[in-house]
Amino acid sequence: MTVTQWTGELNLSLEDRAGKTVARNVYFQGAFKVMRPIYHDDSGKVCYYLLNPGGGYLDGDRYRMDITAEPDARVTLTTQGATKVYKTPKDHAYQETTMTLKAGSYLEYLPDPLIAYKDAAYRQKNIVRMESGATFLYTDILTPGWSPDGGQFAFDSVRLINEIYVDGEPAVFDNIRLSPSDQKVGGLGFMEGYTHLGSMIAIGEQTTDDLIDILHDLLAGTLEEDQVKFGISRLAVPGFSIRILGRSTGRIEKMLNACHKRISEEWLGLTPASLRKY
Amino acid sequence: MTERLLALFQLCDSNLPTGSFSHSFGLETYIQDNTVTDSESFEEWLSCYLEEQLAYTDGIACRMVYDALETGDLDTVSAIGARLHVQNLPRETRQGTRMIGEGMLKLFSRLYDFPFLNEYAKLVKEKRAVPHPAVVFAITAHGLGCSREEAVLYHFYGTVSGLIQNAVRAIPLGQTAGQMILNRIRPLLRQTAEKALALPDEDFGLVAPGLELSQMQHERVNVRIFMS
Repeated sequence: MTVTQWTGELNLSLEDRAGKTVARNVYFQGAFKVMRPIYHDDSGKVCYYLLNPGGGYLDGDRYRMDITAEPDARVTLTTQGATKVYKTPKDHAYQETTMTLKAGSYLEYLPDPLIAYKDAAYRQKNIVRMESGATFLYTDILTPGWSPDGGQFAFDSVRLINEIYVDGEPAVFDNIRLSPSDQKVGGLGFMEGYTHLGSMIAIGEQTTDDLIDILHDLLAGTLEEDQVKFGISRLAVPGFSIRILGRSTGRIEKMLNACHKRISEEWLGLTPASLRKY
Repeated sequence: MTERLLALFQLCDSNLPTGSFSHSFGLETYIQDNTVTDSESFEEWLSCYLEEQLAYTDGIACRMVYDALETGDLDTVSAIGARLHVQNLPRETRQGTRMIGEGMLKLFSRLYDFPFLNEYAKLVKEKRAVPHPAVVFAITAHGLGCSREEAVLYHFYGTVSGLIQNAVRAIPLGQTAGQMILNRIRPLLRQTAEKALALPDEDFGLVAPGLELSQMQHERVNVRIFMS
């Protein structure tokens, strides 16, 4: 058996204490860190910013996060800046995140966009285990990466996996891979001439068809010419997913933020603070 | 051999009463927004659907079902079906696929008395498995004594010829044009079946973003002759 040498590790468990969410346990080591918790308002919901002191993921890096939201804990987890993956000549970089949501908890994981540099290979796996009655919200944005000559999709491959279980039963399985050298990335059915892919997955028993219609109209209201294309649909469990194909990070962020704001108002009665930090 | 082939022809018939007649799996969205308008643009869509969606979901699933049946592991078979179901994020496509799986299971169970097929039907009846066309087809092909290569290839063939029939009605294309597409796509069918059999488990369910998005958008397409 091989024992993984983690480049960075983070354990964070949160619990509700009289309406305020506080850390029960925080542990991090290596190239992973969380900043002091921030309370954006007096709702008791806590926000943690993750940061990567190294500034980016390197060849063969292995990151592990383990987040637990105890009953009624409410937490926002985000990053300090874009996840950058530099070239990985020998071995891909990998990040694994396990999130456990107990009944009544609310966990949103809203990382910044992913930027894979020329010749970078990256894999990310999120495993979410929820009890029914918990609420989970997730977004990600895949960009065409960065290359010294300004070219797009110069990275080797990027793979994002989301596995979500509700009460132990499979609820969502999402497996995305962009591997420009062996895919017709631009073609019909794939990226179709767009360069950025945004996703949102929301799971909560509060989901209604009305909310999905509202979010659909909200997204449709942001459309300009043919700069984006989006879809929203109900999941096999109470919840929905959104996909956006676009040509810039900013536009997709704006659309996802608009949805996030609306969902927070509906589900938490809160108008979320802006998370962006630049 | 001839007997098995004749049986497979029947299972692949695009007139099979499974309900697949009513589903375009997002093709109708492309027809409505004028992306798919003729044989050529339809073939582009069909090739992507085959090489991406069918290869990474149905193709890998067929192979995994065969692996599981070797040890008679029906629990794994139903886990594969469950994963296929939750991997399908667009609601209409997910529900449609399930419906077709149910239709297929009902029909194939009437045609054949295979122990694994009976057991699977029982699991579905007890709501311990979500029927999926690839799983039902693989179990039946296994019962007929087919190799996994045959199972994947014939399942692809049946699905693709059904989609061509739907395109002929919806775009519309002439019947002869439809037959010519089926004729032209044969090499790609074989290549894709071969590729799918060699894919690792971790590639299961890989998404083609544009196809998926069109399947989500279909819910709100104005004129619809298909349910997905």
